[in-house]
Parts: sequence; C-alpha cells; structure tokens
Amino acid sequence: MANTYSILKSSIYLLCFIFLLSSCTSTPEKTINKVYSVEINQMQFQPASLIVQKGDTIIWTNHDMVAHDVTEEKEKRWTSGPLAPGESWSLVVNESADYYCSIHVIMKGKLIVQ
Amino acid sequence: MKTKIKQSIAVLTTFAIVCTALLCMPAIGQTNTKLTDAEIASVAVTANQIDIGYAQIAQKKSKNADVLKFAETMAKDHQAVIDQAVALATKLGVTPKDNATTKSFLDGAVKTKAMLNSKNGNAFNKAYIDNEVAYHKAAINEVENVLIPNATNSELKSLLQSALPLFKAHLAHAEMVQKQISK
Repeated sequence: MANTYSILKSSIYLLCFIFLLSSCTSTPEKTINKVYSVEINQMQFQPASLIVQKGDTIIWTNHDMVAHDVTEEKEKRWTSGPLAPGESWSLVVNESADYYCSIHVIMKGKLIVQ
Repeated sequence: MKTKIKQSIAVLTTFAIVCTALLCMPAIGQTNTKLTDAEIASVAVTANQIDIGYAQIAQKKSKNADVLKFAETMAKDHQAVIDQAVALATKLGVTPKDNATTKSFLDGAVKTKAMLNSKNGNAFNKAYIDNEVAYHKAAINEVENVLIPNATNSELKSLLQSALPLFKAHLAHAEMVQKQISK
C-alpha cells in the first residue's frame, strides 16, 4: 500500500516536472507585424491618421500628378525624399509621429503607435 | 501717425494687387464663355506658364526662405501640369489654340511682372504672395466654372479635375506664407 502511494506520488511529481519543462521550453508567442498602405491622392494622405503596433510597416504610394515626400514633421527624423508620381516608399514604425509633405506643407498625417 | 500711414499704404497696395490680378482674368465666373478643347488646352498651358514666370522672378529677387520654398514648388508643380497637358494634347492630336482668354492672361501677366519687378525686399515678398493668393483663387474659379464645364474630351476633363486639388493646395500654401510674412 505504501509502495503504491509512493509510486503515485512520484508519478505526480514527474507529470508536474514535465508540464513545467514544457512550459519553459515552448517558443514565445510571436508578434505578427502588419503592413498598412497610405495613398497620396488629391493632395491628401489617405488615411490621414493610422493606429499601428511597433514594428508594423507603412507603405505610402503617390497617385498625384506631382511629386510629394513623406517627412517626420517635428525633428525631420526621417524622410522619403521626393516621390515621383507612381512611386512608393515604406517605413517600419517604431514610435508615434506627425508627418507632412515638405513640398506641400499643408499636407499632414499622423502615425499612432499603441 | 506714421504707423497709420504705413498701414493705409499696405492696405491700398494689397487692394491694388488683388484688383490687378482679378482684372488679369476677365473670364472668371463667366460660365457662358464657350471654349473648344484646343482653346482650353491653350488656356491651361498659358495659365501654368504665367505662374512659373512669377516663381522665377521670386527666385531671383527674394531672400525669404518660405517665399523661395513656395516659388520652387510652384515652378515644379506647374511644369508637371504643363508636361501632362502637352502629352495629352499630343496624344489626342489637339493643337492648343490661342484665344481671347489666353490673350487676356498674357496681357495681365505683363502688367503683374512689371509690378513685381518694381519692388524689392519685404515689399516684393508681400506683393508676390498677395498676387499668388489672388491668382490661384482666380485660376480655381476659371478651372471650376469655365474649363471643366466646357471640356468635351473625357481625358482632358479628367486632367483638369485632377489639377483642381493641386491648385487648392497651392492657394492654402500661399495663404499660409502670406500670414507668416505679415507677422
């Protein structure tokens, strides 16, 4: 009887150990980064405001008849340079930013990283 | 007293510039003006060329960074519109045809260029930007009320409709610079 109890106890310990081990060695949950598109059309960024996660990619495409750029507004931390009609540019977003077209300064957009 | 005189001169100068710009465009709001596609192409190309001419004067005479940046944008954007208008006219086999509206634009531009060339420093910056505000208001009116309604070719109409948001953005940009240089 004591022997049976001892075996049962050992089995429970073993099961707990295996469970803990499997928990520790399982691969961490992967964050799936998304890709968003912003269309530059009729002198506007569409959508003008985007809520994204850190690491997501934004692709801007110029559909207008003139060149535009996409430039971080406050400190000019990043810029696409001039985008001719039909050209695209992408950015992996790490922090929120207000941006604008430095050629047509009234065109503004916003990236909000959650 | 001196300040009041200066303010009065500034108001009168602005009024004169706006009047000159509006008189340069007699077709404004004349929805009964009938133009063929060839004439519309001529008006569109001429109106864009005139603003490039104003921008070139600004690039020579101004030292103000906001004015220079605006002038650079005008020169590039209006050239892009001309290139597309000429490409479309070539594709359609349309030869732009001068007409009364084109002629009145050119006559007005001669007077405006003379006025701009007679000014220097801040007076030039103010005159250039005031003229740009008035010119773009008039151009938007012309495109909306005369050129688009008269265009019969769908591609020409589409090109004019695409240019309209561009001219409205130019107007907003000019008004922004106008506020900055009047501070």
